[in-house]
Amino acid sequence: MARVFITGLGFVTSIGNDATTVSRHLRELRHGFELFPPFQKPDIPCKVVGTIKDFSTDSPDPEDWTFPSRYKIKRELLRSMAPNGLFAHCAALQAIEDAQLKEADISNPETGLYAASGGSPFLLHHHHQRLQKLGVMRCSPLGIVASIVGTLNFNLVAAFKILGASCGFSSACASSAHALGYAFDDIVLGRQQRMFVIGAEDGNVDAILPFAGMRTLSLQTDPNLASRPFDTARDGFVGTGGATVLIMESEAEVARRGVKPYAEMLGWGQASDGYNVAISHPEGSGSAAAMVHALRASGVRPEEVDYVNAHATSTLIGDVSEARALRSVFRDSVPDRPVVSSTKALTGHGLSLAGAMESAFSVLALREGFIPGNAHLVNVDPECQGLNLPRTTQERQAGIVLKNSSGFGGANVALVFKRA
Amino acid sequence: MPEAASHSPGTGKPFPSTPKAFAPEDEAALRESLKRCSPSTFESAVQFRKTGNPEHVPAIVIGVIERFVEPDLRVKLKDADDDLRLIEDLGIDSLTMMEIVILVEDVLQMSINNDELRNLRTVGDVKTFIDCKIRGLPLPRPTKFIPIEHIGAVMPVQPPFLFLNEASVSSTAANGKYRISGQEFFLQGHFKDNPVMPASIMLEALGQLAVLYLLEGAPTEPGKVVSAQTIFFTGCEGVRAHRVCRPGDILTLSIKPKRMKMPLATFEGAIRVGQEKAVIVEEITLTYAFVDAVNAPVPINGAYAAPEGENGAMPADAPPLRAAINA
Repeated sequence: MARVFITGLGFVTSIGNDATTVSRHLRELRHGFELFPPFQKPDIPCKVVGTIKDFSTDSPDPEDWTFPSRYKIKRELLRSMAPNGLFAHCAALQAIEDAQLKEADISNPETGLYAASGGSPFLLHHHHQRLQKLGVMRCSPLGIVASIVGTLNFNLVAAFKILGASCGFSSACASSAHALGYAFDDIVLGRQQRMFVIGAEDGNVDAILPFAGMRTLSLQTDPNLASRPFDTARDGFVGTGGATVLIMESEAEVARRGVKPYAEMLGWGQASDGYNVAISHPEGSGSAAAMVHALRASGVRPEEVDYVNAHATSTLIGDVSEARALRSVFRDSVPDRPVVSSTKALTGHGLSLAGAMESAFSVLALREGFIPGNAHLVNVDPECQGLNLPRTTQERQAGIVLKNSSGFGGANVALVFKRA
Repeated sequence: MPEAASHSPGTGKPFPSTPKAFAPEDEAALRESLKRCSPSTFESAVQFRKTGNPEHVPAIVIGVIERFVEPDLRVKLKDADDDLRLIEDLGIDSLTMMEIVILVEDVLQMSINNDELRNLRTVGDVKTFIDCKIRGLPLPRPTKFIPIEHIGAVMPVQPPFLFLNEASVSSTAANGKYRISGQEFFLQGHFKDNPVMPASIMLEALGQLAVLYLLEGAPTEPGKVVSAQTIFFTGCEGVRAHRVCRPGDILTLSIKPKRMKMPLATFEGAIRVGQEKAVIVEEITLTYAFVDAVNAPVPINGAYAAPEGENGAMPADAPPLRAAINA
């Protein structure tokens, strides 16, 4: 079976728009939160967002958008993008440069692209309003491909002339973790030699605010306190958007191109709660089963895992559920192993983006030899006791990292990475 | 043969019959719609909306097209002639065409049907189309695409001396393609061990395209058609060959009528290979004559109808294009 390596990363996130900045902010535990201007209204209870800097996508017309001048994007491509498509396009350009891919390495039947975003509720709403106000024949011919779920893969596949596998994934906050898993399988099975995996979200009012209706958003007004996974005082997640791109390649391609990978992906697993449409299983049964499946598929024993990048979003129920799952999986492990942290304390919760973003954080930390700590964690929730939750970044080299992701409907994914 | 194609319902309706009052909020909306167009486009649009004068339409249409063309291609529109092609020259795809139409509809306050767009291939087509709609004139006959078998059925010239593989004919021009296969009999001797398409044959190919135009596209008198047996070459002027053409080259031929007055029809013509000029002819003149339509064979139009219409046979008096559309 082919081995799979991660050879390129690209970031547009609340904690940085390039790998160097992201790495520094992870290590120094500097968050990307701000009081989000559109939320500063009396009728909006939540105030803080993990904001994307240097991009402005407030207008429904992509030609009004501004973004760093190093990205040149033609109108022809821009016109069908949602904000998450713009973020992803820029992140993909970074990842391509990072992996030193040539045009022929990208556009060939052996290279595919899997993507995950929640679509663009913002543009969907805009185009639907236009339809109702002006009639269907005055609607943009590109309104659909710019806004429905799938907009991300439609746009990227066309823009980068992808000829291999392409698909979108929709399992809410597990989406891009699923995309990574199936991309891994495609390379292992020899169906593809290289895969782009992308997670992205608009991170604007229409993408984040609906979660307030579920009472899952933090109502904290202090950006320094809003996202506190595993802490007694946590009160919900902080929304964020952006994009992360990972390039995965077979061992043969890594050797042919002579590039140095970030990490190897050893395997993955998934399992479902079969419990509730939106609430995690109280014992974290699906999450635990996903981790067991992932470790078994990867040939890794629990005690070999050095670091778990947790899904923990800073919600009351979710963090406890995952803590219980972690305790059950690692109960026979060496004391204090593995280190557990949630980088959502720094970024907020990226929804469909989360799995890809945090996997990229994990492999970045693997290559640079540190383990991010738990920012903003002061008092560990008694329900989350028994885990090694360091408050500060550990300056040490991990060997094996496990990444958890969970989504609505009780979908759970666990991914295993190894130092290359 | 009828001059105008049959229309979909709603086309050909003059607009605006009397211009609607142009309120300040209309001007604000128009300014917003045209915010990425040149100031002169906006000015023309304001004038058109105030007066309904169709003379402003070309400037508006060109201004709207320009707004949707990539900046580095816009220079082509500066002194564009009507032959500038939307797809090949300006990189406008069908989706961009829709964007152009939606903005034109918005600015000119008119409706355009999807099936009216398919035949618009050049800037000239678009200008003529919008102008006809504004003035309430019948739309020009759409360009017909004529495959090789129909060319053979219509033309007096036949293989091995027919140098058109495919052609399209409108009321204002004809375009064709011919691929030099290398099997042409005269290439054995022209030249020894060095096959080169003779310039005289390339001139002949342009002449053949002009013949096809006379048979398929030229305006006629009521009840008359051009007789294939009456068309002959009379002369040419300003012939220049710019490029050696060899087997494998695909000749892109185009002719446009300059003057048509029985019995003489004068055309200008050009052959390109890709973007390279191969042959230019300033004038090529043919003679022609009409015969009564009843006496002429009519495979020409019948060829475009589906072989089996809804009710089997078409009514004999149905205008050919309408019959084709209904088929």
